[in-house]
Amino acid sequence: MKKFLAIVLALCMVASLAVFASAEPAKEITLWTYPIGQWGNAEAVEALMADFEAATGIKVTVEYLDYTNGDDQVNTALEGGAAPDLVMEGPERLVANWGAKGYMVDLADLWDDEDLAQVNPSCVAACFNAEGACYEYPVVMTAHCMAINYDAFKAAGADQYVDVESHTWTTEGFINAVNALYDYFGEPVADIYCSGQGGDQGTRAIINNLYGGTFTNAEHTAYTADSPENIKALEVLQGLEGVYFNAAENGGEEITAFRQGLLKMAFCWNIAQQLPGETTGDRTYDDEEIVFMSFPAEDGNAALCGGIWGFGIFDNGNADKVEAAKEFIKYFCDGEGTAPAVRTAKYFAVRDVAGGNDISEIWADNDTMNAYKVLMPYLGDYYQVTAGWATARTEWWNMLQRIGDGGDVATEVATFCANANAAAAA
Amino acid sequence: MLGQKSKATRAVELIVIFIIAVLFTFPLYWIITGAFKTVKEVNSTTPVWWPYEWTMDNWTKLMGKLKAPLFEINIPFSQYWSEDGNPIVAISGATVPAAIRWMINTVWMAVAAMLLTCLTSALAGYSLAKKRFVGRNLIFTLIVCAMALPKQVILIPLIREMSSLKLYNTLAAVIFPIVGWPFGVFLIKQFAESIPGEILEAARIDGAGELKTFNTVVFPMIKPGVGALAIFTFIQSWNDYFMQLIMLSSTKNLTISLGIAKMQAENSTDYGLIMAGAAFASVPIIIVFIIFQKYFTKGITMGAVKG
Amino acid sequence: MNRNKSGMSRALVRRETTAGYLFLLPSLFFFLTFVVYPMVMCIITSFFDSNMGKNTKDVFIGLGNYIELFRDQIFLGALKNTFIIVLVSVPVVMVFSLWVANCIYDMKPWLTSLFRVVFYLPVVTGSVAVTVVWKWMFNNRLGIFNYIFKSLGIIEKNINWLGDSKYALGCIILILLTTSVGQPIVLYVSALGNVDQSLVEAAEVDGANRRQVFWKIKWPQIMPTTLYILIITMINSFQCFALIQLLTSGGPNHSTDTIMYYIYYNAFKLYRYGYGNAMGVILMIIIAVLSAIQFKLGQSDS
Repeated sequence: MKKFLAIVLALCMVASLAVFASAEPAKEITLWTYPIGQWGNAEAVEALMADFEAATGIKVTVEYLDYTNGDDQVNTALEGGAAPDLVMEGPERLVANWGAKGYMVDLADLWDDEDLAQVNPSCVAACFNAEGACYEYPVVMTAHCMAINYDAFKAAGADQYVDVESHTWTTEGFINAVNALYDYFGEPVADIYCSGQGGDQGTRAIINNLYGGTFTNAEHTAYTADSPENIKALEVLQGLEGVYFNAAENGGEEITAFRQGLLKMAFCWNIAQQLPGETTGDRTYDDEEIVFMSFPAEDGNAALCGGIWGFGIFDNGNADKVEAAKEFIKYFCDGEGTAPAVRTAKYFAVRDVAGGNDISEIWADNDTMNAYKVLMPYLGDYYQVTAGWATARTEWWNMLQRIGDGGDVATEVATFCANANAAAAA
Repeated sequence: MLGQKSKATRAVELIVIFIIAVLFTFPLYWIITGAFKTVKEVNSTTPVWWPYEWTMDNWTKLMGKLKAPLFEINIPFSQYWSEDGNPIVAISGATVPAAIRWMINTVWMAVAAMLLTCLTSALAGYSLAKKRFVGRNLIFTLIVCAMALPKQVILIPLIREMSSLKLYNTLAAVIFPIVGWPFGVFLIKQFAESIPGEILEAARIDGAGELKTFNTVVFPMIKPGVGALAIFTFIQSWNDYFMQLIMLSSTKNLTISLGIAKMQAENSTDYGLIMAGAAFASVPIIIVFIIFQKYFTKGITMGAVKG
Repeated sequence: MNRNKSGMSRALVRRETTAGYLFLLPSLFFFLTFVVYPMVMCIITSFFDSNMGKNTKDVFIGLGNYIELFRDQIFLGALKNTFIIVLVSVPVVMVFSLWVANCIYDMKPWLTSLFRVVFYLPVVTGSVAVTVVWKWMFNNRLGIFNYIFKSLGIIEKNINWLGDSKYALGCIILILLTTSVGQPIVLYVSALGNVDQSLVEAAEVDGANRRQVFWKIKWPQIMPTTLYILIITMINSFQCFALIQLLTSGGPNHSTDTIMYYIYYNAFKLYRYGYGNAMGVILMIIIAVLSAIQFKLGQSDS
C-alpha cells in the first residue's frame, strides 16, 4: 500500500509539474486486449477503465482483438508503427513473439523481491526470458481442461470410464468411452479441430497427455512433438472412429458444436466457460449436463496446459506513455484494481496478496471455481515460451490437417518438428 | 415447328433460371431471417426456414456490444505534429453503437474515393486523350501495365509507406490506393478520345481558358463516362475488403464489412449476432442498388463499352 | 493530329504542354505515390531477406528468395490453385452469364431487370456478408448442403466441404462464381439488346435456326463485350482473397492457398516480408504476360 501511495504521490507531483510546464502529460494510453474471460466484453472493461481513470487520471482507450485476426492485426500495427501502448495476452505472444522480436519494453524494474516471492513461480518463469528481461506482468492464470457431455456419457454407458469426483480419467478409459459413444450415437463424438488460430492448447493437451509425451524439451529450446509417445497418441486418435480431425472448425466452433450437443466432448475448454452467465453455463443448449475433466493420461495424472495472462508494454518510443502504462500494470496486477481485474478475467489470480489486499478468497463464494481447484495441482510446465512459437503454432495446425487427411503420422510430425525447430533456431 | 420447339426449350430454360435465381437470393434471405432468430433456432441442427419466434436480441447485442463516437473531425495533418502521432480530434459526435459508425465510415470512404477518383481521372483522362506533350506515351503505357495488377501484390510496401506517412489506420490509407488505381484514367481517356478536335479548337479560338474549356466543353461530353466510373468506384471501394483489412485497426476506424468480419471471428459461435451484422451491412446498399438499378446497369455497361 | 501539331504556334505548344501536365498532375500524384512507388519497393525488397522485428536488418540475398520460391512446394501449390481458380471460373462465368443473358434479355422489361438484380445481388451484398451464410451452408454437421444431399440420398455420410482438401477449393470456386456472374450478365443483356435486329430478322427469313442466328449474327456483334468480360473476370479471379481468408485461411493443408493468400500468410503469419514480395513480383510478371497476350488478341481482333 505504501508503495502504491508513493507512486501516486510521485505521479501527482510529476503531473502538477507537467501542468505548470503547460505541456500535456501522457494521460491517454491505449490497450488492446484479447477476449480473456470478460476482458473481451466492452461493458465490463469500460467499467474497469473508468475506475482506473478515477484513481489515476489516465484515460485508457481499449480495442478488442479476437483470436482469429488478432495476431495479424497486432503485426500489421507493429509494421504500420501504430502499436498500442498496452496489450493483454499470454507469454507465448508477449514474451516469445513480440518480446523476442524487440517490440516490448522490459518490465523487470516492476518486480521487487516481494513480488517475486508472491507470484506463482511458473508464471514468473514464463514472463522472463532467458536473458532476464520481463515482457509480461501476469495477472491471472488457469489450467486448461476439457469437458464432457455427462448426459450423453450416461446414455451411452460411458460414464463408467470417468471419475466425476476427481475429474480425471485414464487413456484406456478415454478410448473406451469414445468407442462406446461412437457405437451409441453413430457419429464422431470428438473433434480434433484444426482450421487454425486459437484453442491450440486443447489439441496439444489431448495429444501430449495420452501417452505422456511433451511438446517441447524441458529447456524450452526445441520442439519434441515427434517423440514416440506423441506419435502413438496421434496414431490412436487417427484410428478412432469417434474422433474426427476437422479442418473446417476452430476452437470456438468446437465449443459451439459441443453446446449444440453434436460433440460429446470438447478439448477447447476452460472453467470460465462454465460459469453462470456464459451462454448456457454448465448446460448444453438442450440442457444436458456439462462436466469439466482433466485430460486423459495413462495413470490418470495429466499435465494440464497452463494459461497465463497479463499485460505487456509496446515500445513506441514515448517515455511518458510507458510510465503511464506501467502505472496501469501496477494498478491492475498489484494494486486495488487486481481483484476486479481477476474477477473480470474469470480465472485465478497469480498471487494471494496484491497491493496489500488479500485476494486469495476472491472466488470463495463461487462453487464452480471452488470445484475446479481439484485440477489446479495438475498444472504442467508452461512451455509456450519456446522460441519460434508463432511459427510452431501455424505449423501445428498444418500438421493436424495433414494427419486428418490421412497423412502418415511419423512423417508429418517430423515435418512439423523440422519447420518449428528451424523457426526456433532462427 | 421451329417456333414451338423453342417455346418448349424456353420454358425449361426459364424454370432452370428461376431455380438458380432462388439460390442466388437464398443467402440474403438466410441472413435477414437469421438476424431475427433465437439462439435455439439459429443453432438448430435441422434448418429453421422461418423463425417461429421473432426476436430483436441479436440486434440489441449488435448495437450494444461496442461503442464509438458517431463522427470525428480531425484537425487536418495534425498527426504530423501531435505528440503521439495520432490526429487531434477537433469535434467528435455522441457515442453510438460502433456498427453505426462503421456504416458512416464506409459511406464516407466510398464517397470520398468515388469523388476523388472521378475528379482526378476526368482531368487526367482528358489530358491523355487530347493534349500533346512529352512523356504522354510513357505515362499511358505505365497506366495500362499497372491496371491489371492486383493491389494485394504491393501490400507489404504499402503498409510501410502508409506508416511512414502516418496514414496507417486512417480511412485515407484505404482511399488513396483506390484513387491511385489507374483504371479510371484509362476509362475516361477512351471517352475523351471521341471529343472532336474542332470543338476544342473552336473553344480556344473563342478565347476560353483551359479550365473553362474543360468545364463547359469537355466535361459535358465525358459525363456519361464519369458517371460510369463513379458507380464502378463506389462498388469497388465498398467491397474492397482487402485494403480495409490491412490498413484499419481501431474500432472507430473500421468499415462495416471489416467490422462484421471481425465480429464473425470473435463470436464465430454467435450466429444470430453475425447474421444481424451481415444484414445491417448488406441491406442498405442493396436498397440503394435496387432504387438506382437503372443507373447502376447503365454505369456498368458504359464502362464496358469504352473500357 | 500530327497535321495539327505542325500548324500550332510555339506558344500554343507550350500552353498545351503545361495544361496537359497540370491536368494530369493530381491523378499522377496518387498513381505514382500509392501504386508505382510501392511496386518499385516490392521489387527491391524481394532481393532482401527482410523479416519482421525491431532489431532485424534487411540483408541483400540477390535471387535467394526466388530460388527458394521455386523449391517451395506450398508456393507451387498456391500457383497451381490460382491457375485452377482462373481456368475454371473464367470459362464457367462466361458461358453461364451468356446463357442467362440470352435467356432473359428479350423478356418483359420488368422480368429482365428482376433477374438482373437477382444475379447482381451477391456483388452488392459483399463477400463478407455472403461468406457468413456460405460457411454455414458448408458446415459438416449443420450445413444445408449435407442436409439436402442426405435427404435426397445422394450422399450417405456428411461431407466436411471446407475441411476436406478434395472439396475445399471447389467450394471456394463455387462461391466465387456466384459473386462474379453479376456484372457479365448485365453486360451481356445490354450487348444482346443492342444487336442489330434487322440482321437477325433477315437471317430468320433465310431460314436460319436459333443456334445459327446466335453464332452467325449475334456472337460476332457481342465479341467486344466478351473480351471485356474475359479481362475483368480474369482479374477478379486472380484477386480472390476475402473468400479464402474468411472461409478456409488457405487450409486444409494449403489446399486453398492462392498466391494472393500465401503472400498475406507469409507476411503476417510467418513474418517474411522479402519472401512475400518475391511472390508479388512473380505474380506481377504472370499478370503482365497474360495482359500482353490479351492485348494482342484484342488488337488482332479489331
